[in-house]
Amino acid sequence: MLLNRRNSGERWRVRPDGPGKVTGALAYLTDMDVPGALYALVLRSPHPHARIVSIHTEAARSLPGVAAVLTHADVPGLNRFGIARQDQPVFCEDRTRYVGDAVAAVAAETLALAGSALDLIEVEYEPLPIVGDPEQALLPEAPLLHPEGNILHSKSYRSGDAEAIFGQCAHVVEETYVTTRQMHAYMETEGGLFVPGPDGSLTVYAPTQHGFMDRLQLSRILAMPERRIRIVSSPIGGSFGGKDELNVQPYGSLLAMVTGRPVKIHNSRRESVRSGLKRHPMTIRMKTGTDESGRILAHRVRIVADTGPYATLGAEVLNFATEHVVSAYRFGSVDVESISVFTNNGMSGEFRGFGGNQAIFALEGQMDRLAEAVGMDPWEFRRLNMKAADEPGPFGQTIARTDGLAKVWAAAADSALWKERVHLDISENSDIISTSSATFDPKRGGGDLPLWKRTGIGAALVMHGAGLGYGIPDPSGGRLALRKDGKIEASFGFEECGQGLIATLEQMLVERFGFAAEDLRIVIGDSDAVPDSGSSTASRATSMMWKSLSLLQTPFTEKLLTEAANCCGLPVQRLRLGPGGIWDRESGERAIGYPALAERLAEPIVCEASTSYPVPDTDIVGAHYLYSYAAVVVKVEIDDLTGRIRVLRQFHAVAAGPVMNPQGYLGQIEGGSSMALGFALLEESTMAQGQYIANNFDTYLIPTIADLSGPVEVLAIEDLPDGDAYGPRGVGEIGSVGLAAAIASAVRNAAGIFIHRLPIDPALLQEVMPIGQWAVMSDER
Amino acid sequence: MNDKETAAIADWSCTVNGRAVALQLPQARRLLDIIREDLGLTGTKRSCEIGRCGACMVLVDGAPVNACLMMAYQCAGRTLVTIEGIANEDDLHPVQRAFLEEGGYQCGYCTPGMIVSVKALLDAKPNPSFEEVEEALSGNLCRCTGYGGILRAVHRAIEEGQSRP
Ligand code: FES
Ligand code: FES
Repeated sequence: MLLNRRNSGERWRVRPDGPGKVTGALAYLTDMDVPGALYALVLRSPHPHARIVSIHTEAARSLPGVAAVLTHADVPGLNRFGIARQDQPVFCEDRTRYVGDAVAAVAAETLALAGSALDLIEVEYEPLPIVGDPEQALLPEAPLLHPEGNILHSKSYRSGDAEAIFGQCAHVVEETYVTTRQMHAYMETEGGLFVPGPDGSLTVYAPTQHGFMDRLQLSRILAMPERRIRIVSSPIGGSFGGKDELNVQPYGSLLAMVTGRPVKIHNSRRESVRSGLKRHPMTIRMKTGTDESGRILAHRVRIVADTGPYATLGAEVLNFATEHVVSAYRFGSVDVESISVFTNNGMSGEFRGFGGNQAIFALEGQMDRLAEAVGMDPWEFRRLNMKAADEPGPFGQTIARTDGLAKVWAAAADSALWKERVHLDISENSDIISTSSATFDPKRGGGDLPLWKRTGIGAALVMHGAGLGYGIPDPSGGRLALRKDGKIEASFGFEECGQGLIATLEQMLVERFGFAAEDLRIVIGDSDAVPDSGSSTASRATSMMWKSLSLLQTPFTEKLLTEAANCCGLPVQRLRLGPGGIWDRESGERAIGYPALAERLAEPIVCEASTSYPVPDTDIVGAHYLYSYAAVVVKVEIDDLTGRIRVLRQFHAVAAGPVMNPQGYLGQIEGGSSMALGFALLEESTMAQGQYIANNFDTYLIPTIADLSGPVEVLAIEDLPDGDAYGPRGVGEIGSVGLAAAIASAVRNAAGIFIHRLPIDPALLQEVMPIGQWAVMSDER
Repeated sequence: MNDKETAAIADWSCTVNGRAVALQLPQARRLLDIIREDLGLTGTKRSCEIGRCGACMVLVDGAPVNACLMMAYQCAGRTLVTIEGIANEDDLHPVQRAFLEEGGYQCGYCTPGMIVSVKALLDAKPNPSFEEVEEALSGNLCRCTGYGGILRAVHRAIEEGQSRP
């Protein structure tokens, strides 16, 4: 179904969190305030790599109005954090490894005083040589950033003997693909409110994508039991993976516990840029060969990722990239070696797409190049080499079977945009036209288009794993209850980052159980009030809510109906759940309302479900079991004078199981693809000598409304095979993956240039046709 | 409030969302801080603080202004409207309703500023061209939606405006 409001009918619903958002009434966690709160700031290293000789905080401490100045000496527990591996210092002791490294933190009566106190902290540094590039970090003479060396993680996957087979290939394509550091650029910077309780407890109001993980990490740092820490983690003004790891929480928490007063932190944009995560820059070298007919025989890949100074999820991102440089193609033999390397650049970490973005850009680039080498239509070339539904996954593992790949392929082939390309390709290659004018180009000029503009159409195919993958605990669950006040309460340990999770949950409850929205109370993002559902990441939350509700449906319904039957003296079989209460099937009347039922119960009705994200039967860490698929077709316009590319039209076919919430699904694909557009055309968080060059939105450009005014069509392919037990696959990430590769493909189509580096440098396209040639060309026409 | 500012504390008054407001504050205090901190109106958001994102957009005498770039003395005596003052009595403004119905938001952090900009545009020009919409909203960044829902909401608001007598 083409997703839009009209086709969705009644399923297009106003989001429950909408009114608060359009009126400004919704308080984000960085909007919160309490009387008497202190303001906090963090002192970070000015040097990307330095030895700390000394830290003096006396002057800062003695400034009137300063409540506390903390350094590593003040951390009661573990002075480290990290979701996967705790190697990032809360406060550096003797060495800093990037410009976001924290050395001290201050809480004061006003923000200005906190700033003055930071100025008074004296830190003597001895700058050390900077490791600014992962290839440099791998040289034997490179300074060691960690005692174990400069390699965070390596991963390889091999099947067959690719090296030996290249010799037999009729066509071999080799290319090095480079992607740069992309910033999440959530509009709400990191921050929150940290409130100590009189009983020695702590409440943290700070955005994160997994409240329970923050609680665990903070309990280690504060040396406090987890039960004394409450994390309120939602709503969030955008995250995209960027707020999953701890950011300011250790500082706010420590300062609140030390001062015994509430503490507020809200990063400036500059602070956010400097300390926050980014997408891993990757260099991906590929060599791929086919036989005469275009069948791929061998695929060799080397990935080098710049992970920055500390681990966070760098290893997991690399595993994901390793899996997705193989994706859904049938390679005769595969040889992938990947490595994630420490540097003194900014922190790289989790970011929507999780390494798939870089991998697919490279892989799809190879497909286009090989198709040309073989002399085939690029889409046909993909079909020839795509795996069938019953073939194993990228790592040879068994995966849940779906026809998603074939279906998105066919939908793209069938799209008006792709047909337009095929048509243009035919006319371009037709003898009649090319003999009439040697320089005639059907993609240039014509219609409203001036001669210095040309258009092109390209496409890309995406396979995207969901869930954390094999080898990483991935439990989930949720709770349904009929509470005393008559509300049906649904509790999940997930967060609302804007993706529409609350709306999706409400919609599932309404559609699956028959409740009315008014019957419901949805509780999320509060570690004291919800069960741990796992993280709101990895496109997993919708699947896990669906699964939990499937498990809860029978027991919860039965309990409600049994209690209602007792109250009303009717047989259970005659009753069903409905809006406002329990209904009598025979009379068609409401037998009892939920509030009336709740009032008569001695105990609330509570049902909990636990489940966990499905994983394949394998021993390969990170291998996925559930995948979604997408095909993206895009039309671009290139201005030869400026080299600028405009995206004119997009078509996305997405196969991710049933659509739970049409508005949310559409929004995820539109929003995700706008990030891919930025990745392809605009965004680059350049570093020079370990320092960020772009510190704000004046120099770090993200797409504006003018970059995205062209139509975007999203076709949801919902079918799953009979008996599929997994329901909706998430769509939180897949939209952010394919468009960049499709744009590169469209640029090749328009301008004859193969793109191997993102963002695409306009200078490359200006060089294609020197301006002077236009006069000649227009004469000829 | 910053120490350097304290030197120049003076009377400041304005109409904010229809209410007369009188405060004592430094003349160089940022309007964004006055709104969020002194008046507690946190619907106006803080994001870039350099006039690039539009999260802090408010109306000053009906014109859209980045509150992070305006200082107290520059708006003294004027009429300010923040997102909290856009709705009519207890009914949403048509632009707010259009955003709600079309789903012109996700995380919602850009939404107040976006709605303020759209209102300013439609007040000045009830039937803007496509290019005028693009231009009017180019200073409002949204990282979540890809602007699809926002454009649909704006078009709906335009259509509904036209269908009103
Ligand atoms: S905060 Fe004012 S324009 Fe960004
Ligand atoms: S809705 Fe999140 S920034 Fe626009």
